[in-house]
Amino acid sequence: MHTGHYISGGAHGILILWALFGGMFRSDPPEVQVAEVSVISEAQFAAMMQPQTAPQLGAEPAALPQPDIDTQPPEPPVSEVQPTPLPEPAEPERAEPDPVPRPVLPEPEPEVVETLPQPPAPEPAPEVEAPDVALRPIPRPAPRVAPEAVPQPEPEAEVAPEVQETVEQSETPDVTETEEQQATAPEAATTEIVTEAEEPARAPSASVRPQSRPNRPAPAPQQTAETTPDPSEEPVTDPAEEESSADATASAIAGALEEALAGASTAAASGPPLTQGETDGFRIAVQECWVVDVGSQAANVTVTVGFDMDRSGRVVNSSLRMLSSEGGSGTAIETAFQAARRAILRCQGDGYNLPPEKFDQWKTVEMTFNPESMRIR
Amino acid sequence: MKQVLASLLAVLLMAVSAPSVLLAQSGPLRIEITEGVIEPLPYAVPDFVAESAAARDMAQRIARVVADDLTGSGLFREVPREAHISQITSFGSPVQFADWKAINAQALITGAVSSDGNRVVVKFRVWDVFAGTELGQGMQFAGTADGWRRMAHKVADQVYSRITGESGYFDSRVVFVSESGPKDQRAKRLAVMDYDGANVQYLTGGNALVLAPRFSEDGQRVLYTSYETGMPRVHVLEVGTVQSRIIQGQDGVMSFAPRFAPNGQTVVYSLTQGSNTDIWAMDIASGGVRQLTSAPSIETAPSYSPDGSQIVFESDRSGTQQLYVMPASGGEARRISFGQGRYSTPVWSPRGDMIAFTKQNAGRFHIGVMRTDGSEERLLTASFLDEGPTWAPNGRVIMFARETQGAQGSSSLYTVDISGRNLKRVRTPEGASDPSWGPLQ
Repeated sequence: MHTGHYISGGAHGILILWALFGGMFRSDPPEVQVAEVSVISEAQFAAMMQPQTAPQLGAEPAALPQPDIDTQPPEPPVSEVQPTPLPEPAEPERAEPDPVPRPVLPEPEPEVVETLPQPPAPEPAPEVEAPDVALRPIPRPAPRVAPEAVPQPEPEAEVAPEVQETVEQSETPDVTETEEQQATAPEAATTEIVTEAEEPARAPSASVRPQSRPNRPAPAPQQTAETTPDPSEEPVTDPAEEESSADATASAIAGALEEALAGASTAAASGPPLTQGETDGFRIAVQECWVVDVGSQAANVTVTVGFDMDRSGRVVNSSLRMLSSEGGSGTAIETAFQAARRAILRCQGDGYNLPPEKFDQWKTVEMTFNPESMRIR
Repeated sequence: MKQVLASLLAVLLMAVSAPSVLLAQSGPLRIEITEGVIEPLPYAVPDFVAESAAARDMAQRIARVVADDLTGSGLFREVPREAHISQITSFGSPVQFADWKAINAQALITGAVSSDGNRVVVKFRVWDVFAGTELGQGMQFAGTADGWRRMAHKVADQVYSRITGESGYFDSRVVFVSESGPKDQRAKRLAVMDYDGANVQYLTGGNALVLAPRFSEDGQRVLYTSYETGMPRVHVLEVGTVQSRIIQGQDGVMSFAPRFAPNGQTVVYSLTQGSNTDIWAMDIASGGVRQLTSAPSIETAPSYSPDGSQIVFESDRSGTQQLYVMPASGGEARRISFGQGRYSTPVWSPRGDMIAFTKQNAGRFHIGVMRTDGSEERLLTASFLDEGPTWAPNGRVIMFARETQGAQGSSSLYTVDISGRNLKRVRTPEGASDPSWGPLQ
């Protein structure tokens, strides 16, 4: 409660003690600065205040000694190679003036366009009696599994405009080193077109995501007891309906018998049918020669061509005919037919490889050429 | 019970008869082929027979031009002359088809040339080697010696037509902008050449910038844009006299991107007034004009359909450059391009079934084609800068300008088949751009 008084009393006490002993009331006089002076006479003062006079110039200084200077200029050093005068700059070539446009006349139109008479037919080849059986040797059936390992196929050649054989380094080192070259070959035919814009990039565009874990097998459904039909609920058939059903059955039996007998007689005449492999071989042989111009109107046409063949597997030229067509105009249809005809004739060689014993199966052929899957999409 | 037995008998009989039905393949063997090969058709063209001493050199040159035309189309491959077994020494003698079959030549072209002073007669026949028959009938052309290249092109057109069933394009010309000098000081002149780059002739001097020449349907006139007056203006030039005149010259407006209508009487072009560019049509004879579009955006590069009923053009009304089709009289346009990137410079095919265009996407330029409804878009090329497609008169080949990158880059003309195959450069004496293919002559 009296804390304030104590603090105040202490502080005042300290202040009084500092005033008494701190020198606040000391009476020492301040220090006086003293400067020394001297007394001079009036004459001395006048002499001091008189302006100073300019100094007197002395006699001319002696002339400086001149250095010895050669009056003749030094000879310039003679260079070993005498400069030759530069040739006169050639007169700049006069730029050719812009050609004055002149009337552009098209090249003269050919005057006459006329058709020529039919040329002479080539001499017919001497007729040779063809044997009934093809003279081509029948290939021996090859074993399905080769007894020895098949050598590895040669690596594919790069596509290049010119054919170039592979050059490999020989085992014995040669004096002249030969640079190893890759084999090249001209661009081969293709079944699809890749444009410049569609050429695949060298780097993969995306990484393959890991496959997700397969789902757990679903639990087998619980088997439920089947309800057995109640014998008492058997439907009652109408007698008239039963009679008509019997008639239908009898006629079906007669039809099946007739069909079976007819079929048996035809089979005896035609022999066994072509196997799938034989048919595929024939199809592939023709399609390898079927040139499709995918950018033409004919690529919109499907044509079916019919033709006869002789026992040697050769096409009878005169029998080639167009059976039907689908899509396209008249000219496009004709072009599609010509392409199909060329394919059939070009790839036959000495005759298509078809089994002679099944001649009845392939003596008449209907071949459909459908370019739908090859069209430009 | 009786009925059940009868049914069993019927089933048994059918089971017995089924194999025999299979065995008995009645009728012809039926095969469907769905895969062929895409390759050039091999043909042979021996030197044409010179029926006079003066025609010997020309006979060889004509045969070479025919071979260059056919092989250059990408649809044919010449069997080298070194491989020929038999020689054609007389135009009238029969052909030994076996010799040509042996070298796998599917077509054979024989010809003869006779010369009498300045008059030259060229005759030829085309043979289907494997069928052993003549394709079409033999023909002959007569003309002056100066026109030997045209006669060779005409022979090649006939061969092309007889084998492919479509008209050729070899006897045709191209008008283009010939460029010389560095990129920043490039002089541009209008020029015309044969389709293969031969016989270049200049139509204008190099004193004014010229752009986008377009042939008329008859090949006698050329529309182009010139900066002769300082502003782009549409001019028309008569090819025969090289006389040109401004056909659109309003003060303060810019006109450009002109193109003839199929009738040759109407010109459609773009006109810029202020910041808006629209498509207008003008009747050349009367000078009457009609505005076809009025959107507050940039509509340009109009091109007529072959029947003249529709116009395809480019517009940025959707925010980016896209292709639109509208009636030739103007009216509502429907958008046909919906792919990524920007589409420009559309051109309707002479066949009428496709539209060629320039596409810019992901930093590259492409020349592409699509159906007229925008479906089946297909890009044919890809490079630093491809632009300005133009169709061959048969609608089978597209020519365009390709510019190489860098300060020293130059522009050249290229052709590509609409299948995307056979991309090749057209040789021109100088740089070239903005091609427009004229009609078959």
